[in-house]
Formats: sequence, C-alpha cells, structure tokens
Amino acid sequence: MKSKNRALICIGISVAVMLVALILTLCGLGINFGLDFAGGLSIQYEMGQPFEQADVEEALRSIGLSEHAVSTVGQEGTTMQARIPSLGDDTEIQQMQSQLETALIETYPNMDVSNATASYVGPIAGRTLVKNAILSVLLAAALMLIYIAFRFDFSSGLAAVIGLLHDVLIMLSFMVILRNVIQMNSSFIAAMLTIVGYSINNTIVIFDRIRENNKKPAYAGLSRVEVVDISVRESLGRTINTTLTTLVTIVTLYVLGVSAIREFSLPIIVGIVAGVYSANLINGYVWAFLEERRGKGKA
Amino acid sequence: MKVNNRRSVKLKKKTSAVIALCAALVVTLLLGAVAVYGLGTGSNPLIRPWVPRPNAWPESIALGLDLKGGVYVEYEASLSPEQVAGEADFNTLLSSTMDVMGRRLTDKGFAEATVSQIGSAGIRVEIPEVTDPQAVLDLIGTPARLEFYDADGNLFMDGSYVQSASPAYDERMLPCIQLNLTAEGQKLFGDMTSKNIGRTMPIYLDGELLMNPMVESAIYGTVQITGDYTTETASDVALQLQSGALPMELRQDKLDTISATLGQDALSTSVLAAMIGIALVMLIMIIRYRLCGVVASWALVIYVLILFMLIAVVPGIQLTLPGIAGVILGIGMAVDANVIIFERVREEIRAGRPLIHAVRIGFKNAMSAVLDANVTTIIAAIVLLAFGTGSVRGFATTLLLGVITSMISAISVSRFLLTRFARVVHKPSLFISGTAAQDESQKEAN
Repeated sequence: MKSKNRALICIGISVAVMLVALILTLCGLGINFGLDFAGGLSIQYEMGQPFEQADVEEALRSIGLSEHAVSTVGQEGTTMQARIPSLGDDTEIQQMQSQLETALIETYPNMDVSNATASYVGPIAGRTLVKNAILSVLLAAALMLIYIAFRFDFSSGLAAVIGLLHDVLIMLSFMVILRNVIQMNSSFIAAMLTIVGYSINNTIVIFDRIRENNKKPAYAGLSRVEVVDISVRESLGRTINTTLTTLVTIVTLYVLGVSAIREFSLPIIVGIVAGVYSANLINGYVWAFLEERRGKGKA
Repeated sequence: MKVNNRRSVKLKKKTSAVIALCAALVVTLLLGAVAVYGLGTGSNPLIRPWVPRPNAWPESIALGLDLKGGVYVEYEASLSPEQVAGEADFNTLLSSTMDVMGRRLTDKGFAEATVSQIGSAGIRVEIPEVTDPQAVLDLIGTPARLEFYDADGNLFMDGSYVQSASPAYDERMLPCIQLNLTAEGQKLFGDMTSKNIGRTMPIYLDGELLMNPMVESAIYGTVQITGDYTTETASDVALQLQSGALPMELRQDKLDTISATLGQDALSTSVLAAMIGIALVMLIMIIRYRLCGVVASWALVIYVLILFMLIAVVPGIQLTLPGIAGVILGIGMAVDANVIIFERVREEIRAGRPLIHAVRIGFKNAMSAVLDANVTTIIAAIVLLAFGTGSVRGFATTLLLGVITSMISAISVSRFLLTRFARVVHKPSLFISGTAAQDESQKEAN
C-alpha cells in the first residue's frame, strides 16, 4: 500500500510540473524558441578587410543581440553574414544596423555601410522536419509497444510507452520553466530522440526483473505491487551505476561546453533524471495497476 | 594422481587465458595506434587516422555547417505562367519546393544541410563539407529537360508530366530509370504508345538523344527508361529528371562558400570533454566493479575505436556540435549493458558459484534485458531513419551505429575478456566488488 501511495505522489508531482508549464504557456510564457525554430534576420556586410568573427559577435552582444550566428562568406574573408533574431519593423532594423556599424567601424574603418542588406530568413527546422520527427516518434512508440507487448505483456508495453511520454513531456515542461536559461533550437529534437531511445532501457531492465520474479515460486504469494517493489530494489545497483556514468559524461559536456552544447545537454540531463524517476517510481506501478484492472475485468 | 591431473588442466587453461588476454591487449593497442596516427606516411597514407584528438580533428570524419561551414545558395522562386493562370498558391508551392530540396539533399548524404526561406520569395540552402560552390549544382541538380517525341518528330510530352523519377532495375536486373507520371502524363503516354505500336519513340535529355526505344505495347502505368546505365549514373540521371520536376521555377541568386559559425575552440573543448567523460566513466566502473570495471573500460576503448571508424566510413554523417555531444553521451550509455551483466555476475558469485560459472550464468541471465533494451532503441532508430528528414535522419544514423557497436562490444568483447580473467584471477572480491564474503570459500575450492 505504501509504495502504491508513493507512486501516486510521484505521478502527482509530474502532473504538477506539466500543469505549471501548461499555465505558463497559456500566459504567453511558453517555450523560448531560438533561431532554428523561429527564424530571424540575415544581415550582410562588406567589411573591407579580412575580419575576426569574434569581433562581430562581441559587437552584436554589446548592442543586446546575444543570440547570433556569425559566418564569413566567400574566399576573400571580407564579407560577413550573421543571423540574428527578428526585429519589429524597418525602423528597428535600421536602428540595429546603425548601432552595429558604430560598434564595428572603429576596428573596421573600411566597412561598407551603404550596401548592407538585411532580409528575413525562415526557420531551419521547418514544419516538415518537426512534423516528421513527431510522427516518427509516435510510430516508434507504437512499434516499441508492440515489441514489449510481444516479449512481456500488453500492460508492460502500455506502461513503458506511458513512461516514455511522461519523460518527453517533462523535458518539454522544463523547456518552458527554464525559458530564461535555455532556448529551444534544432538540437532539442536530437535531445528528445536520445531520451526516447534511452529512457526505455531503464524501464525494460526493471520489467525484465518483474518478469523473472513473477516466475519464482518464492514470490508466488505476493501481490503485483510487492513484486514490483522487490524488482525495483534488486535493479537499484544497476540503475545507480548506469545513471552515474551517463550523467557524468553529459554533465562534463554541460560544464565545459559552449552554448550550443548546453542547449543540447540541459534537456538531456532533465530527460535522464525524468527517465530514472519514472522507471523506478511510476512505470512498474502503472503496470501493476493495468494488470490488476485486466484481472478484474476477466473475473 | 587424479588431483594432479586436474591441477595441470587448470594450469593449462590459465596459461592459455593469459596468452589470450595478452594477444587481445596487443590487438587493442595496435588498433588504437592506427586509429590515432593512421597507417603510412605522406599525403596519401594507407589508412587515415579516424579518432579525434583535442587539437587535431581527423579529416575522415565530416563536420556540419556549424563547425566547418560549406557553401550557401540563394534562389529566387517564381511561378510558371501555367501556375499563375491556375491561381496556384505561392507559399504552398514554395514550402513544397523546399521540402523536395531538403529530401534530395538528405538522399544525397547531406542530412545536415539546411533549407530555409529567405525574404518573401527566396530559398536559402546551406550544405556542409562542400568547398566548391559549383558542386552544389550537382547536388541539388541542374534541372534537366526531358522530352518525348513520336516517330514523326512531334513533341508529345515533356518532363513536367513526370511526378517522380527514381533509379530501379529492369526485368533483366539491369539498372534503369523509373518514371512515375502524373495522371495527365499517364494518359498522354498511354494514348501515344497505343497509337504507335511498332514505331520508335525518341526521348531527349537536355536536347541530346537519350534513347530511341521501340514501342512494343501501350503503356499506361509507370515508365522504365533503359539504357547503358550503371547503378550510379541511373541514380544521377533520375535525380536530374526529378529536379526538372521541382514545383517552382528557380533562379540562382547568390552562390558562395560560408564559414563555420562556431570557432575551433568549440570543437577542441568537446573533444576534451569527451576525454574527461571517458576517464570519469572508467574511474566509476573500476571503483564500482574492480576487475570487471577494467574489462568494461577496455571494452569501452574498443567501442570508441569502432564507433568512430564507422562514423568515418558510413556515408551521410556530418557531425554538428550537438551531434558530437550525442556521441559523447553514447559513451556513458554504452557501459549500460556491462553494468547489467556485472550485477548479474555478482549475484551468482554471492550465491556461491565459482567465478567462471558465475560469469557464464550472469551473462545468460542478463542477455534478455540487454537484448530487449537494445532492440527497442534499434526500433526507434530505424523508424527515424526511414521517416525522418534532415538532421533527424543524421541523428538516427549515429544512434543506430552507437547502439549496435555498444551491443557488440558489451556482449562479445566483454564476454571474451571476462571469461579469460575469471580463469586468471581467483579472488572474487578482486574480480568484482561486494563479494568479500565469498573470498574464503572460493579459496578452498581452488
């Protein structure tokens, strides 16, 4: 009974996190989409001499554009192209341009300010890419459900996929909650897919134990929830060690990495923690609940 | 006598295990040396190095736009007169043109290429790893003009009725090009062939005679163009024909090289992070599992060497910074199978089994969990590979390679090493932690 209550409390916490994210989104404080998803402006300048991308990045930061992707165009190394977030209207664009020119003209006196261009660029992670990614994940989840149902039982398949959905929703929720810290760019799709592929492993290892323990005569008199308890406990050593090795690599990346890496590693860290949480504290009990309901239906 | 005999058999097994372990060590070191330094000298060595070092990224591993740059092209899209007359929706056509281009680039092995709208009627394409701007035209495809004539030299159909073109094999298993025509095209083609049985039907590509087949029967379905094709040329021509079928007219506006957006330090920091990550994983494994941890670390080295070799060899992978991060994360995940196995081995030792049996049974008990966990991940990767586009496809490729490599290294490499070590070392607590209680009883057995 006790562990069942614990599972209910854990589900409650997860739902609360998702609700907070939902409410924030409804209040207009949703996910902070970066250039890859939101698109932006592409500006181009002839610098008049070979230039350092770092100088331009510094100048963009100084005028408040911390989100940018600066590159050099052509073999001469004198043409600069940068992607920055969208601005309101032409006046704002002109204002930004003149600020940027002021910030750069001292270092690059030959900069051609009369032939600068600025045009809107759409998202790189366009609708098709996102749509395909979501559809593929749903299809993958359906196939995983079938595979697990075949190797274990239908309730296991359903419980594992519910757990997967939980982990992805928690990741998305944290993208909302941490909107001031982190932006969503196309690497989030990769992060999400990583968790989809990885977090199911935790659940499988525990379900494998449950499957094994269910067959043991010594545990024949125990309720399903009790078998789940024992199985989770028996798998704990593996859970701790695996989580440790995975978190160590990703946290190292987060600590050392540049912002592009942080945008990938932070959601992964959230996803891994959510995955361990759901696999150990929720999924087994969902399975027990589903099996018991099925048993009642039959009786 | 009998006891002595058993002793000598055991000793023999121990000696052969030591020899096997030494041989494995030599192989690992040689493989590692080749991976880091390559084989042969000069500008064209026999084998190029494939494992990254902090300030020397191997040429054999392609990088994405963020780390290496490439080329960019901007097109101005416009409607054809027929589309204007048909009141076609500009934005719908523009986005489907972009989809076709993205898919084409992915098919050509540039999963990390990007296609985005620029301005109100432009398309911007960025392609990594390409340094020659002219090569872009080969990739996106110079639109090819396909014309079908009847025997009297009258043009009766052109490429605009071709819905898609793909390389295929004909009934003799020779490479050919398969055309799927639009409904209108099928009718045109069918009517023409039914009226001209026994006559020739010249087909021109960009004004050059492509083939001059004899019409043998009325054809209303898909059309196969046979000729002197190899698998490669068939796919190239098919691509060109497909380009002819882009939904909009495009005029190339700009074409130039573009540099990386991230500096060299982003790359070297990641390699450094990877090395620290690997070292920490090894440390954790050795602390938590002792000799078994050493085996896991050894298997991990082999995993890294093989994975990067595959990344270098398998086409269609350009590593972006997040992609590299994914590979590094995979290193932490790769020991998972080992962890599952070791926990099972420990359980068996605690149950009082001799080491060598504990290893065998531990592997057997762990196998179902290892297989089921990896198969589900492989299912996800294959679905993404089949249905994802762009970077999603690139990600799926590395994920798939990672899972398969880690499974091989965890199952076969670890098993090989562990069974050998179990013959050499007899003290359970040295073999794996948490088994000190078994030390005495195992000593007696030996």
